[in-house]
Amino acid sequence: MAAALSGLWAGLLAGALLSLLSIAAFKLWPLPIHIPLWGAAFPLVGALIGAIACAWKRPSTTEIARWVDHKQALQERLSTALEVLPAANDWAALVLTDAAAHASRVDPRKLVPFRLTTAAKIAAIILLAAAMLGFVPEQRSELQKRRQADAENIRETGRRISELSRRLVEKRPPTVQSTQVAMETAMDLGKGLERATLTRMDAMREISSAAEKIRARAKTLADDPALKQMRQAARSAGGEVSSREALQKQIETLKNQLGTESSFEQIDKLRSKLARMEQTARASTDGGLGAGANQEIAAGLSELARQAQALGLNLPELDAAIEALAAQQTDRFLQKLEAAMSELEKLSEMSKTLQALQQQAARIGRDLAEQLKNGQAESARETLSKLARQLQDSRLSPDQLGKVLEEVQKAIPASENYGRVSDHLKKAASEMQCGKSGEAAASLQAAAKELESLMQQFGDAETLMATLDALNQASMCIGAGQCWQPGRRPGAGNGSRPGAGVGTWADATQQWDAPPGEMVDNSGFQRPDMDPRSADAERQEGAPLSPTKIRGQFSQGGQMPSISLKGVGIKGQSTVGYEQAAEAAQSEADSALSQEKVPRSYRESVKNYFDEIRN
Amino acid sequence: MSTEERIRLFRETYSAIRTEISKVFVGHNEIVEGTLIALLAGGHVLLEGVPGLGKTLLVRTLGEVLDLSFSRVQFTPDLMPADILGTNIVMEAPGGRREFEFQRGPIFAHLVLADEINRATPKTQSALLEAMQEHQVTAGGKLRRLDEPFFVLATQNPIDQEGTYPLPEAQLDRFFFKLLVGYPSASELGQVLNRTTAGVLAEVKKVLPGERLLELMKLVREVPVASHVQDYAVRLVLATHPGTQTAAPKASKYLRFGSSPRGGQSILLAAKVRALLEGRFNASYEDIQAAAHPALRHRLILNFEAEAEGITTDHIIDQVLNDVPTEAAAMVGA
Repeated sequence: MAAALSGLWAGLLAGALLSLLSIAAFKLWPLPIHIPLWGAAFPLVGALIGAIACAWKRPSTTEIARWVDHKQALQERLSTALEVLPAANDWAALVLTDAAAHASRVDPRKLVPFRLTTAAKIAAIILLAAAMLGFVPEQRSELQKRRQADAENIRETGRRISELSRRLVEKRPPTVQSTQVAMETAMDLGKGLERATLTRMDAMREISSAAEKIRARAKTLADDPALKQMRQAARSAGGEVSSREALQKQIETLKNQLGTESSFEQIDKLRSKLARMEQTARASTDGGLGAGANQEIAAGLSELARQAQALGLNLPELDAAIEALAAQQTDRFLQKLEAAMSELEKLSEMSKTLQALQQQAARIGRDLAEQLKNGQAESARETLSKLARQLQDSRLSPDQLGKVLEEVQKAIPASENYGRVSDHLKKAASEMQCGKSGEAAASLQAAAKELESLMQQFGDAETLMATLDALNQASMCIGAGQCWQPGRRPGAGNGSRPGAGVGTWADATQQWDAPPGEMVDNSGFQRPDMDPRSADAERQEGAPLSPTKIRGQFSQGGQMPSISLKGVGIKGQSTVGYEQAAEAAQSEADSALSQEKVPRSYRESVKNYFDEIRN
Repeated sequence: MSTEERIRLFRETYSAIRTEISKVFVGHNEIVEGTLIALLAGGHVLLEGVPGLGKTLLVRTLGEVLDLSFSRVQFTPDLMPADILGTNIVMEAPGGRREFEFQRGPIFAHLVLADEINRATPKTQSALLEAMQEHQVTAGGKLRRLDEPFFVLATQNPIDQEGTYPLPEAQLDRFFFKLLVGYPSASELGQVLNRTTAGVLAEVKKVLPGERLLELMKLVREVPVASHVQDYAVRLVLATHPGTQTAAPKASKYLRFGSSPRGGQSILLAAKVRALLEGRFNASYEDIQAAAHPALRHRLILNFEAEAEGITTDHIIDQVLNDVPTEAAAMVGA
């Protein structure tokens, strides 16, 4: 045990030394983080190894006897007894008896008292030094720091790509094997980026390679005309296309919450007036609420309350504000006025949403033909199901059958882009003409199923596009030395300008989900929420036109994307002209572009650069 | 007689000798003990001290306590070897014939007191060499054995005293112990004055005949010594050898010559005697350490640097004891 303790302290000392060295080395040189982490474990491992090694090497009986003699001050009685024992003479007997008498008084527990040896004390000091060294900042060059930050960004980006892919798959499981494979590619890419230590270039190359595979699959889906129409319909609706019934249900709910039939414009007008009134009231309050101003505001608020009542809006906070004003309770008045403003804003938002839903509902085709034409697959599927149910109804009159037949026949041309839906509809029409309502219903159900399948494929396409968009953004973020997170594009933070892209004044929240290499037809899109509010609109409302001077502001922009390229510095005088050199460089750039040496995100920039220097 | 009884007799005899000596000789317990240890080990003793400290008294008292023949030689510069060993003189035989007859010198005694040995010339001092080592003398062309036991107890003044001749190294090496006699303490001095000025002379008894002393000497040599204890004595001696790998740093720096093997023998024998006196049946590291100073101090030859710096051999021995660890201490890293 004494040997084990001795080994333990010696091992601890050795481990502490190694630990100190590893931490010091990490502080001085750009070593991987696992070196100091391992170093932290060295003392424990060293102590264990030392204790085991020393305990393993069992001392001989003679050594033990000499050690006990020393520890218990037995004046070499035990060790001498062991040596003279074989002699078996009088002296041996005497020495043995004497040694036995003294050995019987030895307390084994006191033989190995636990005490800190010099090695242990030195080890403790070294460990303390190592711990303190941990707080000393690392000596790193800017290049090393950037590489380290890049590696961390890439690792985090990989983790997020992996997480996003997993969530997308969970949310909408792929229906086709190829989509599944494409999504697994994205997940593998995320894991690869997370595990490996890559440079910026390598990471972008990896992302580009994975994106190519996903893009190929997305392109296959994007070429499907039915999916094109569905996508256009979805884009027009500003999101997922719901069925008419679902929309109607949402509209009814909102109407109940709103409690009025008033339009968004009317409520918004009221809100604007209240806002101006609030501004006036605050201005008056700051300078002391005079009797004249008080009267004027009271009159204005009463008029507003009357208009709100006329519109069927219930604004209790506004009434409370009028009461507070009458009672000369300025603070309460302002508080209630602010609450009324908030109340009205909420109603305005609900009204706006209601208006958007109503417009969306209005865009849903009235019959199957229009729904198919507009790409409203969900509505079309429901219509088909409804028609099938009608056909299955035994009480269906010939007139009703005729109407169903007419609707189906009308929808056949619009269903040409929907794969086998057209065939099913044609079959259903012919069956209805033959009076086979049951078979026709089955055909319509089959058409509904086909539409459902197409919707699933559309879901696949959406998942792939989302993944592709995420990969592109991630690539740009890594190129800009930033960590990507879903919804973030390289550049400044949310909402600040300049937004996404280089040198553009785009909105930071804008989305670009067009399939690669395809023009988007956005004619006919209606976005009331994005409608500009011109000065004319204000003028029509009778608002006073007060000149407003807004001071321009300069703000720090986001980090420009940058990329480090290795090159060879050439010294000496140039022997060729500038133009020749530029042309040669451009040809090399073209070659690099064609050979995929330049990441996709940078190709355009590289091309433009060389075009510029040539001109 | 069993070994245990012999050991008991050893301790009783020692105790009796101490008691008798203490009747005459006051204090200096270490000197008395050292002298007796040397005698029991069969070695000669060199007592060094300024005049008047009782060196001669101690030896003379010892001669009275031991039932042995005793002779005293006062060493002077004109003392000749023949004055110690003896010489052939012409004697007239009963028939009127004259013949040479060897007249034995004072060396032919069991206990020889060589008083102020360093006052004689080296030639005369060297007359003791053969007697001390081989217990025989060669005189008048004949080899003559000395009676056993044979001890030389020499006293000397410090060599920086006037009219002294330093003992040759070979002579010094033959002494088992060199004991330094210091000044007595106040209480001891008081006792000395009481005893020497009251007009009462203490009488001592003879307690140890020569035969029994020889038996005790034989017993000493039977005391077992563990190999690692003996090894420690060896390492101590080797550590005094300057310029060798085993030398202690101070030894290399300040010594011209280290201890001879006789130093090791002295240490080990003294350790055995001390073990018996301490009531043990085996020699220990402590015994070795206790014997180191008296056994080695006269065997180490200082160099000029040590002399200049006032370093003594006792300093060197202290350092050697400090530098050479016992095996057990080295084993536990203490």
